[in-house]
Formats: sequence, C-alpha cells, structure tokens
Amino acid sequence: MTLLELKNISVHYGRIQAIKEMSFTVEEGEIVSLIGANGAGKTTTMKTISGLLNPSGGSISFMGQDITKMKAHIRVVQGISQAPEGRGIFPAMTVLENLDMGTFGRKDRSGVSEDLDRVFTLFPRLKEREKQFGGTMSGGEQQMLAIGRALMSRPKLLLLDEPSMGLAPQFIRQIFKIITEINSQGTTVLLVEQNANQALARAHRAFVLETGEITHSGTGKELLANPAIKEAYLGV
Amino acid sequence: MSMVDGPTPLHTAKADQAAEDREAVGTPPGSSAAVRRKGWFGGLGEKWQELPRQKQWAVLIIVVVLAYLLPVINPPLISTEPGNDFPLACQTMAVWALVAVGLNVVIGYAGLLDLGYIAFFAVGSYVAAMLTSPDSTFLKIPYLWTIPVAMAVTMFFGVLLGVPTLRLRGDYLAIVTLGFGEIVRILATIIPAMKGQVGFQNLGHPPGLDAHGVPIFANSNGTPWYWLTLTILIIVLLLAGNLERSRVGRNWIAIREDEDAAETMGVPTFKYKVWAFAIGAGIGGMSGALMSGQVGFVNNQKFDVVTSVLFVAAVVLGGAGNKVGAILGGALVAYIPLRFTAIADYKYLIFGLALCLIMIFRSHGLLAARQQLLAYGRHAYNEVKARTDAKSAKAKAAPGKEASL
Repeated sequence: MTLLELKNISVHYGRIQAIKEMSFTVEEGEIVSLIGANGAGKTTTMKTISGLLNPSGGSISFMGQDITKMKAHIRVVQGISQAPEGRGIFPAMTVLENLDMGTFGRKDRSGVSEDLDRVFTLFPRLKEREKQFGGTMSGGEQQMLAIGRALMSRPKLLLLDEPSMGLAPQFIRQIFKIITEINSQGTTVLLVEQNANQALARAHRAFVLETGEITHSGTGKELLANPAIKEAYLGV
Repeated sequence: MSMVDGPTPLHTAKADQAAEDREAVGTPPGSSAAVRRKGWFGGLGEKWQELPRQKQWAVLIIVVVLAYLLPVINPPLISTEPGNDFPLACQTMAVWALVAVGLNVVIGYAGLLDLGYIAFFAVGSYVAAMLTSPDSTFLKIPYLWTIPVAMAVTMFFGVLLGVPTLRLRGDYLAIVTLGFGEIVRILATIIPAMKGQVGFQNLGHPPGLDAHGVPIFANSNGTPWYWLTLTILIIVLLLAGNLERSRVGRNWIAIREDEDAAETMGVPTFKYKVWAFAIGAGIGGMSGALMSGQVGFVNNQKFDVVTSVLFVAAVVLGGAGNKVGAILGGALVAYIPLRFTAIADYKYLIFGLALCLIMIFRSHGLLAARQQLLAYGRHAYNEVKARTDAKSAKAKAAPGKEASL
C-alpha cells in the first residue's frame, strides 16, 4: 500500500525554487532514502512532508488522504513524525520530559508506557539518562533522544533528517542499525542523508536529489552499484 | 556506545542525597535545576525544595503577612521617606511586580519578545478612566468592575495584535510589538474621545469611607491600594503557577526552546502563542487599571517606549521564566528610583549597567527559571504511567474486557 505520495511538488523560498515538481512515493513498511549534496533540497522536502513548509505547487497525500493544506501539528496526529535536522530537542527539559512531549497529539494515553519501554529498549542510554537535561547530553545522545521522541507519537511514517549529522563513524553505524530495527518493528521510514553509503545500504529504495530534482532512483543496492553515484556521493 | 560519553551527569553525590531526603519526606523531586545553576541565590531554590510541604506553607504565610504589613511597618532602612511616601511606593512596586508577572508569561514562558507591553497597560488604564471618570461620556460602572473589564478588553487587544503578528518570529515580532506600543499611545493623542494630554481626572475608586468621612481608597492613601494590588497579585500568581505546571506551561516551554520541534511534536504552536499573548495582555491591563485608579488621572503622557523597555528589563533582571524572579525584578525597578532619589535621574544608566552585569555574571537573571514546573510535569507523567500500567495489568488479567482505545 502506498503510504505517502508526493505529486509534482514545488517549493519556493521567496523567488528561489528549492524543489522542482518532485514526485515520489513511499510504500508501507519500506525504508526510503533521499540522498544528495548540500542545497539539493533534502531538508526542504522533509519540512514540506512534515508541514513546516507549504509547497507552491503539487499535492501530498498520506494513506490516500490529501494532506497538502494540513497543518504540521495535525499531521503528527495522522501519523507522520519527524526527528528534525540538528536534532531539535528541548534543552531545558529532561530526557523523560522530551519523550513525553512526543506523546502530545496522542489520544490513547494507555499505549504510552509501552512505547516508552520500546524506546528505552532501542536506546538503553536514554534510560540511564532519563533525568538528565537534554541540552547537557552529547550529540549522539541527543540524536537518540530526537529519534526516540519522534517514535513516542507511534508514527506510521518516521521522517529522519540527517540522523548521522555530526556523529562519529562508529556511532553512525549504530544509529543505522537501530533505524533498520525500528523499520522491522513495522514503522515506515523516510530518511534524508548525506552519508550515502549507509543510507543506500539500509534502504529498500532510494532517490538521488540534485538541485531540487530527482535524478536517479532505484533500490538501494542498484544505486550503490551505479558508477555515477559511486563517483559523486560515495567518493570511490 | 563508548563514544557517546556525554558530560558527566549532574547529579552529584550531595544532590542525590538531597533527592533521597526529599523522597523520604514525600515532596516531589525537582531541584535539579538548582543543582545545575548554582549562583548567588543558587542554593536557595534547592533548599526551598528540600523543605517539607508544611514548612513551605509556613514560610509562605510569613512572607505573605510581612508583605501585607510592609507599608504599615515602614522599615527604617527600606523606607523611601522623606522623599517619597512609602505606602504609595509599595503600591507602585506591587503594580510593577504584577506587570512583570504578566510580561513573564509572554517573554519568560513562551519566549516571545514583546517590546510594546506598555500598550496593554495603557489600554487597561484607559478602560478604567473612560468607564469611571466624570470627564468621559461613556457609561459609568463601579471602579472594581473595571478591573475584570480592563482584563477582558486587553485580552481582546492581545488576540487582535497576536493573530496577525505571531506568525513572525524573534526580532521581527519585537519590532512589530514595539510599533504597537507606539500606535496605542498615538491613538490616545489623536482620538478625541481619549482626550490626549488633557486626559481624564477623578477616576473612580473602590467604595468605603473612614471615620472622618474621607474615602478609604483616596489617591494619596497608598496602603489600601497596595493591599488591593497585592491581593490581586497573589491570585494571579496562584493561577500563573497552575498554568506553569500544566500541559500549557510545558508547551510554552517547548515553543520557547524550539518552535519547529514543538510543532512537529503536534503542539499547535500558533494557538499557544496567542494564548500566552492574551493572558499576558490581560494581566497588563489589570495592572494598568490598578495604577490609574490609585493615581486618579490618566492622559497620554505615561505610556512611552522607555517604560515598555523598563518592563522588559524588570523581567530579565529578575529572571525570565521565574515568576518569583519577575516579582523581584518588577519591584526592584520600581523601588530603586523611589528609594534613592539622589540617583533617580540616572536610573536608566543604572539599570543599563545592572543589566550588563546581570548578563555577564548571571545570564538567567537574579532568580533563574526553575525547572520545577517540568518536574511537576514529570510527577504528573509518572502518575499517568502508573495508572496506565495498572490498567494494562488489569486488561491482561481480563483480556475479554480490554478497554477500547
């Protein structure tokens, strides 16, 4: 089943067109990666899907419903949850409070403790630090917290904007392993990355973004094997 | 996960011990912020949290009684006499404290820099003036009624200003609010019904005559006015405290810390920002009505930008996000020029310097925002968790009767 569908989406910042008539779909149960260089429009795409930006043209539908005009905070209730770029955690709240903020839009408070357990199982480090203030944690821990917080709304679609940004290589591998695990538990994941190697290796399908347009698409493995992509993004 | 060793946890052995002690006496935990920001008053919040509930109440009652008795005792070193009447100074301080508490909702909780707060103060003053002064042609109502009316009208103005402008962020919002502050002042000058510089005289006051047939709430009699303002201040504090500890308060904090993240958590940020604005405005309007009632005269001369900036200074000085700090800041900003009349002419220089020093040495204000509100949230959260745990346990025991979600 198609979970998310973008049709001819265009996004402008003032007069500058950041996204040019982009179309793609995300099927239920997939990990889809968007890779691209700086300024390719990756974060713009994410913000358009989560509702922080309004597209200037085209339409977005989620589970068959048109959500193009829907406000960001309502999309969360519908099942789209984002771990924003640069982590975006609340520094003056503790880990537990940050996670609790993730449950804001939920109607079923009864599933919360179950999800809290799930997050703590995925990220045992968060459990150890549950009373620590978000702002005092390391980059990797903040990233875990951002992902964990996004999971607390029990999303159908998890948007991850550069989860590897600013992290040590060893930790990047671990984050990606956890992303695969989250996916195998039934959450569809749309991933934006500069770290093309990991993003392609973990993805079912992937798209390459260049200056606001999709230039390549295929399964993760196909793109990994594509010589042009190898040269441009994998530095081989 | 060896590479994710963050800074060492903040819970020192001593703090942990304190936490255990607290739990032992059954008060909610929540002084970790005090542990985090130790300063001149740093230990104070922590010590306060360590006190058992009964002792906290006892201390609070003593403080409140002392606050009520302040103009009667007229303590020698603190008194503003002979230059200024001390009870009147107390009233001014109480009004400024109320203003600071209101502005603290906007700046401290929701993180919206409002440089035109004086506009709400002005609207409140004019509501009181136009509904009670014989100079006005409007319908007249008893003075005490003007306080809730002023609050309602300014809340309306807060929404009116908030809806178009709260789509802006940061500096842009500050600029627009600065403009709004000026607009209200200029409107008061050019709208004939608001009587510009001539203004309104003989505003109403609460009823009551003393033994000599003089009104209890005479313009020159500061003490009853102070008691009235202080009572309202305490009520507002209790309400603000409840808001702070509620979901609303936490959403404000989330918006202050990262608006986009709050939005992607499902918080309707715009709605909450308008609410913060309206609540702040309402408190500002009340303080305006109280101030002008005591002065007995309102014209367009008192509502300048500088006062607006002083309001912000009061909040920042006291500690944005901390209501006790806001009271302290507001009272201090009002008190210093009245007490030290020799330096009153230099008050802007002194406040400027004080703010610079505060920013350098104590960037969170005299009393830093306590995270206690969040700790209360956690307290509530744990309760919810315990309840849902119990529920799911019950559901497991009787799978047929599982509650629908």
